[in-house]
Amino acid sequence: MNPTSPARLRLLRMLALAMAIAMLAVACGGGSDDDATEDPPADDASAEDTSADEADEADEADEDEDTAEDDADDDSADDGDAGSGEALTLRMVWFDWAPANALEDFANEQYAAVDPNISFEVETVPFGQWHDAIFTQFAAGETSFDIPILDSQFIGEAVTGNHIATLTDFANDNIDLEAYPSNLLAAYAQYPVAPDGQFDPDGEIYGLPLLADTWVLIYRKDLIGEEPPGSWEEMLEVAAQCQEDNPGMAGLAFHGAPDYDTAGITLNQVIWVNGGEIWDGEGQVEGIINDEVGLAAIDQLVNEMVPLAPEGVGTAFIGEVNAAINQGQACMGMNWVAGLEGMQDPANSTLGETEEEILEKLGFAELPDGEVDVSPMGGMGMHVSAYSPNQEAALAFMEWFQSAEVQQMWAEAGGVPARTDALNGEAFLSARPWNQAFTDSVDSLKDFWAIPEFFQMIDVHSTQANAAITGTQSPEDALNSLAEQEQTILDGGI
Amino acid sequence: MPASAPPREAAEAPPVFAAPPAAARWRWLPDRWLARVSVAPTLLLLFGLFIFPLLYVLVLSFTDYSASGNAEVGVVGLENYGRLVTSDQVQARALTTVLFVIGAVGLQTVLGFGLAYLVHRQKRGGGFLTVLFLIPMMLSPVIVGAFWRLMLDSSFGVVNGTLSVLGVDGPQWLSQQGVALLSLIVVDTWQWTPFIMVIALAGLNAVPGYLYEAADIDRASDWFKFRSITLPIVWPILLIAILFRVIDAFRLFDIVLIVTGGGPGGTTETLSFHIYKLAIRNFQTGLASAYGVLMLIAVNILAVIFIKYLERLQAR
Repeated sequence: MNPTSPARLRLLRMLALAMAIAMLAVACGGGSDDDATEDPPADDASAEDTSADEADEADEADEDEDTAEDDADDDSADDGDAGSGEALTLRMVWFDWAPANALEDFANEQYAAVDPNISFEVETVPFGQWHDAIFTQFAAGETSFDIPILDSQFIGEAVTGNHIATLTDFANDNIDLEAYPSNLLAAYAQYPVAPDGQFDPDGEIYGLPLLADTWVLIYRKDLIGEEPPGSWEEMLEVAAQCQEDNPGMAGLAFHGAPDYDTAGITLNQVIWVNGGEIWDGEGQVEGIINDEVGLAAIDQLVNEMVPLAPEGVGTAFIGEVNAAINQGQACMGMNWVAGLEGMQDPANSTLGETEEEILEKLGFAELPDGEVDVSPMGGMGMHVSAYSPNQEAALAFMEWFQSAEVQQMWAEAGGVPARTDALNGEAFLSARPWNQAFTDSVDSLKDFWAIPEFFQMIDVHSTQANAAITGTQSPEDALNSLAEQEQTILDGGI
Repeated sequence: MPASAPPREAAEAPPVFAAPPAAARWRWLPDRWLARVSVAPTLLLLFGLFIFPLLYVLVLSFTDYSASGNAEVGVVGLENYGRLVTSDQVQARALTTVLFVIGAVGLQTVLGFGLAYLVHRQKRGGGFLTVLFLIPMMLSPVIVGAFWRLMLDSSFGVVNGTLSVLGVDGPQWLSQQGVALLSLIVVDTWQWTPFIMVIALAGLNAVPGYLYEAADIDRASDWFKFRSITLPIVWPILLIAILFRVIDAFRLFDIVLIVTGGGPGGTTETLSFHIYKLAIRNFQTGLASAYGVLMLIAVNILAVIFIKYLERLQAR
């Protein structure tokens, strides 16, 4: 084609036109986001507001959608009436582990008596993609789920983005907020969390507890005795002795993988139990996490604990710690309570032919105290998607789920309840051999960073902790670099 | 008169092939516009799926936009680009990516060409062997990563289990500095060597047999034949395969996510994995967009250099 031919000029004109249209489309593309910013789909799901207005809006948007909002009644959970006339599936999203399956079965079996028209689906995603699966949908302004199950630290990001509904009025009217340990309720329900980590009656509520959790110590009674170690230092001594006495076995299994908060929680626990802190609660990290106590703690983690761990601690998480105990490769281990399901099952263990044989060898205890009596808080809360058209039905389910009787039933089904009465009830304490250890730990549970920058922070935290654990960086360099990077994030940098 | 012109008698006779009635009805739609209408769906698709997102990313790269947040979007100019170019973390990820690309593609080229050469020399069963070698390439990288993660597990993996039977104390494949990147190279090589092999095999099959016959008459050695006949003819084709693999390896993400999660200590995080963390985990959308644009530019520069080299090679 001749460079100056009319055909070429026409082609150039068309390309220029296409580019102009593209730029126009790009420029207009932000409009919807701005609209979303100004007018979030739902910022308050209090019982009074959500039930009528938002349900009507959703119906107007899609009259054919199979929802039960118009028919749902606030009292439906209480009077056992089948409040919704049409079949409705409430969808939750969680990561793939035993409690997720337990929750789906439990909700479908038990809630049928309350409302036979409502069924439940718990969509599970890999642990590493848990946050991404939820927040990419939040970012799109449309969710396939009604009840996102969020880690306590996700709440800040979800609230500041207007992605979850405010439940303050609903919770104050329908939930007995005094029935929970104050620290658990604060972690799973509130943002911002009060500086003392306790529930603030005047604060906003964005969720309700679903599953409480913490680390407990699993120990081989046949190797180290019936009683667990009495202190953190003693635990390390006993682990070292057991490792020496049993060639081929590791003394203490724990988490060290770089994914999400895995290695980060380990670092936190070691710092906390030695009397240190990871920040000042407001915005200062440098000089606090890497003070003398912090540096001594990470040195203990790398030079005393890692040599006691099974090989591959740098990739270890719940499954690896359980496997190390079950396969007779570790004398002790620290693991999440909710991740212990199946430990007593002979199908998973080489420690015995029957459950009794296995439990004769395994003991479960609260983590031993160091300078401080502390255990990491895990667990998650239930929230309501601001984009869900089924908010009222979701709230009715949550109200039912938080009742004392249902919490007892949830405990019997393998869940870890958050109500004080359920935690101390016989149903929970006898449901699993490790449940007593959880109840013993409740007062010492400590959470961290329920702030919008959580994910940037935890990425640095776990990466640097993993770098120290795997020997990629020296303990001191890893902690100093961690402090510098986290300070940059909190100061508004990248 | 052109050979195809009809005889005079035929030209004067009424036309045998009259325009079909349908054409008359569509007279308002000239061929030129018919062509435009025909390609319009494809162009719209191209615009919607490629051009618009690309321009959108370009616009976002100059802002502090967060897809998950609710804050007002601010224009930051070239600040995102400045941060990325001067970031130690980005430089470390770039180095990791380059090491991976060189290691993985280099190994795959040597092994793939070697396998192709052996299969090509095989008088019987060559087709069966080719199909057999292609199996890894047909698997999803996520599945491949999950299996290799299990196999390379330090405590329970079959690799270290086998090594221990042989009396060798295996390394921590996934959590030892240096070794973890090597593990990624091994996994990628296992999956993608067949790609190089297939293309190299096509190149080997394209070498004219008479060249070898002539060389045989001159009593040339096998090495001489390989160096002077096979390699010069196959090399340009092989370079295309290498180009594809370099581009693909440069954006490695899935295997890192599954096998090492970026560990130990972030030493196996590639550029793509880092972008994923910024874009999806941290929702620093503006920054991640700038990162993506920079990576696109880098890959394009690399591809252009490669193609220029290829053109020079073919011009000889």
